[in-house]
Parts: sequence; structure tokens; C-alpha cells
Amino acid sequence: MLSSPSRTWVLSLHLLPARMAGLPLQLLFRSMYLRDHVSSFLKAWDEWVSTRETNALLDDPDLRSMAAADYSMLVDSLTEIVKTKFPAILVPPSRTAHLSALMELKSGVGGSEASLFVGEMLQMYLRLAQASRWKANVVASSELDSGGLRDAVVEFKGEGAYDSLRWESGVHRVQRVPATEQSGRVHTSTAAVVVLPLIEESDAQKEELYSMADIKLEVMRARGAGGQHVNKTESAVRVTHIPSGITVAMQDERSQHQNKRRAFQVLASRLMEAKLVREMEARRASRRNLVKSADRSDKIRTYNFAQERVTDHRIGLSLMNLSSVMEGDGLQDFVAALRRDHEESQMEEMLED
Amino acid sequence: MSRAHLARLIPRLGKRQAELEYGWMKRAAQAGSSVPLDEMVSRRVASEPLQYILGTQPFGSLSIKVRSPVLIPRPETEHWTIRLAELLRPTLDPARPLSVLDIGTGTGCIPLLLCRLLPPGTIRAHGIDISPAAVKLAEENASLCDFSEPASLTSPRNTFRPIQWSIRRHNFQPPLHTVTRMARQNLCGDGLDFYVEIAKFLQRTPGFLLPKTGILALEVGDGQADSVQTIFREIAQLKSEVWLDPWDKKRTVIARAE
Repeated sequence: MLSSPSRTWVLSLHLLPARMAGLPLQLLFRSMYLRDHVSSFLKAWDEWVSTRETNALLDDPDLRSMAAADYSMLVDSLTEIVKTKFPAILVPPSRTAHLSALMELKSGVGGSEASLFVGEMLQMYLRLAQASRWKANVVASSELDSGGLRDAVVEFKGEGAYDSLRWESGVHRVQRVPATEQSGRVHTSTAAVVVLPLIEESDAQKEELYSMADIKLEVMRARGAGGQHVNKTESAVRVTHIPSGITVAMQDERSQHQNKRRAFQVLASRLMEAKLVREMEARRASRRNLVKSADRSDKIRTYNFAQERVTDHRIGLSLMNLSSVMEGDGLQDFVAALRRDHEESQMEEMLED
Repeated sequence: MSRAHLARLIPRLGKRQAELEYGWMKRAAQAGSSVPLDEMVSRRVASEPLQYILGTQPFGSLSIKVRSPVLIPRPETEHWTIRLAELLRPTLDPARPLSVLDIGTGTGCIPLLLCRLLPPGTIRAHGIDISPAAVKLAEENASLCDFSEPASLTSPRNTFRPIQWSIRRHNFQPPLHTVTRMARQNLCGDGLDFYVEIAKFLQRTPGFLLPKTGILALEVGDGQADSVQTIFREIAQLKSEVWLDPWDKKRTVIARAE
């Protein structure tokens, strides 16, 4: 039994996650050439091969138990590699790996408690940016007297920022007793996060996201007759992309030129996102498992303070260490898990092809 | 504190504008402005322009220093200056930098933005103004934006030099062989005297505006464009077209020598 390689692979396959069962052996073997690029895989492979060579030892009653232990250890490590490294190796490199991210945080239901949570989430993401060596820049935020933020827009510049943060899009729910609550009742509030790929002007041209002929640009008129002495700070602009109906209004900057630049940047980001979603949908069009909820109204994660628990509803991952997510590096676990999940589902798609 | 400030600003500015402007004041205060937030609010409530309170106004990608009594750069001006840079761009030649004269330069925002937008070593700009305060401020801006003279001999750069001078003086001599002119809106008389002065100056100084390549860009007030076109056609024999501002008003007369 032990000398049959294909039986061994089958054995490994049983250990794969359910969604990868039925992985054709052919594909596995075909991708063996990739081992050259992955040192851990190569090492395990070499060990495996050398163990195979000493299979004869298994017939020796004295050495048999030692060899069997070695054997099962190797099977374990190969299985681990198949589970964790394979998707990353097999899935084609992300087309969006180089993109920076533009994140918008908005308080949802729950009044000032929701705004407080938006403030805390902003800090959480800024900490993640620091750990990930992205350059974070809060480009707009509206602070409230009562504390917290009504909304905020943050740029995260750096390699992989979009790929890591894109799965943060959706509604985040917080359950806790607000500081102001006398009776100790737990409130549920929400904050909405939207993450878009941040498109630089040069990228926007390269991607051919829009043509100026399709753009309607409106500028808000300053009050009064105008003239040199009038203090004009009404610099708001509105950009509409006619074919898609996407409209971006911008007023946070002090000059019209700056508002226009920012509005075009946001427009490019939205169009880029729409393009990525379209591409994803086209790939999945023929599959029963349609796009894994790209709907922004879906609750994606719950932060339960009373239970010190953070649960991501999409992958069913719960971490019982809320403070590490909010104030430490716990968020990275979610980011990594969601990324892995994305890679696995891409792999699944590939196998269905 | 914030709430008290906003409560004072809202009656004067309206809620939306008050929130925006207060946000900018707070940002300036955080960035280390010498003016305390409380004083900013009081001055704004007393109708001082926000730009004077904050001390700067963004103009294109530049941050221009502003100070009373020198006029604050306007969005219309920003708009046509960017368009003018695009008009000039194909004609540029680093071997023969373009000479620019800005008449009534104020903060120096127009020549400075041209210096910023166009490739290094292609623009040599001068600005004249009758106001010593304007010339001083324009000098400060030239130095802040890093376009002060002298031009470097080793690495090409654009430069801007403000001079206190008036176009009305008979002995006005162009500081350099100049091919491009800009003038801005007049603020006195019937609003057209200033354009007549410039037209007369061009008439008595033949060749000042280079034939074919020379461009005269004039920002005009609401409803003045047609009259200004007539003035330059009749006095200085210049052909012209009109550019609209972002609000579709006839804002800039672009004239060329035949």
C-alpha cells in the first residue's frame, strides 16, 4: 500500500478542504513544476522522494516503525502544503496587486454610538496600515462634537493595499454598552465601509476607464454677483460619468482645482471597481456559485464587546480577542483569512474550468 | 468649544459652508498656524475673507501666500491659467524660453502656476504691479514656490521676477524680449480703461507682441468680453477669441498678433 504513489495522493486528497475534493490528480502533477519556485515545497518534495527511496526499509521489521513515523510526518507536511500553499501557487498573480486603496467609512444606524465606532475603526485601519507599511492619509473626515466621526475617507498607498483591504467592504456591526448608557443595555450600531481601488491619473488612462466626452462637469456657483472682492470658497464640483450614471460630488478641498482632481480620482476608482466586478462576474457567469456577495448592504462582521468576540460572517471565523483586533494586530488574521478564502475560491473556479 | 465656534459661524455662512470652513480652520490650526482658532472664528464672523485668515489659497497645485490688501486668486483665473499652459505647451522650446509678462501680477499666481505646469527651463516670467505690497508678496511667493531668479546655468528651471512698474509710464521697457502678455480685470473707471491702456501700449511698441506666436491673454469682467475684443481689434489690430469660465461666462480674451 505504502509504495503506491497514487494511493498516497488520494489519501492526501481526503484531507483537503471539502471544496477542493475532486481536485484532478492530473492538475496536481501538472503543477509540480511550480515546486522549483517554492522552497518549502521543494524541501518537502525532496524529503518525500528520499523517503520513497528508502521504502525498502519498511520491509525491515526493526526499522519499520521509524520509517512509518517518518512517512506519516511527510504525508502531513505535504497535505499542509497542498492546503495552504497550493492556492497561492496555482492562482494566477492578482491583477490588482499593485493597487493602493481608497476607503470610505460611514456611520450607520446607532447615532453617536455608531460615530464613536467609526472613529475606533479608523484607528484600527490606520494601525493596520502602519503594520503593513502602507502610507495612510485621511483625506476627509467630519468630526462630531459628541466625539467620533460621521464619516471619513482614507487613502492607503502601497503595494497590496487594495488586495488586503477590499474584503473590508460591507457593513460592520458593533454590539456593546455605550459609555453614555445608564441602564447597561447592549446597543447594536453599524458602520459601513467601502473600499475602492485607488487609481492614479496615469493608471486611469492606461485602464481606459472613461473618455472625457462621457463626462459632465458641473461647478457650484458662488453666491452673489462675484467680483474680485468676494471671498469665494464655494469650490464644490460634481462629476458625472454619463454612460454609467456614476456621480461624484466633492467639496472638501479649498479650491475648485483640488476638488476636481479628487472627484476624478474617486470616479476612476469607482469605474475601476465596477470593471473588476464585471470581470469577476464574467468569469463566474456560468457557475452556480455566483459572486460571493459583493453587496455593500450585507453585514460582514460583528464586533461583540461583551463577549470579546469578533466574527466574520462570510468565512465563519470568530476570534475571541476583540481588543487585539481593535488595538493590536488581530485584524491581520481576518485580512489573511479573507485573502486565503479568496484564493481558494479562485482555485475552485479554475478547477471548474 | 467646536460647537460654540460653529454657532458663531453658522448665522454668517450657513450651516454647510460654516462646517466646511471651520474644518479648514481646524486643519490650519493643527498644521501650526500662528493664528489661534478662536481668533480665526472671530475674524471670519467679522467678514474677513477666509483666505486672508488662513494666509494661503490653493491655486492649481500651488499654495499661494495671500495677504491684505493684495487680491486673492480666483477660481476663474486658475481655470484659464491651466488652459493657457496647455495652449503654450506645444510651442515650447527649452533652447528659447518663453518670456511671459503678467500685468497687475498681485500675488504672482498666474506666472507661478505657468512655471509649475510647464517643463523646467521653458518659461521666464516677469510680473509688474503698481502696488509695493503686491510686489513684495509676489517675491515671497516666487521664493516659496522655488521659482525665484536667477535661472540656473547648470540645470534648467522656470523663473518669475516681480517688478514694481506701471504700464501707464511712457518709458516702460519690456524687461526682456517678451512674447506673452497677461492682464487681469480692471477695478476702476468704467472697467475698460485698463484694456485701452494696454492696447495703446501695444500700438506704440510695435513688435512687442511677437507676430504669429505672441499671445495676449486678458481676464475680463462679466459682460466686458465683446468690448475688449473691439478695443484690441481697433487700437492694436489683434485678432481674438473668447474663453468661457467654468460657469459659462465669457471670461478670457485670447488675442494674437497677425
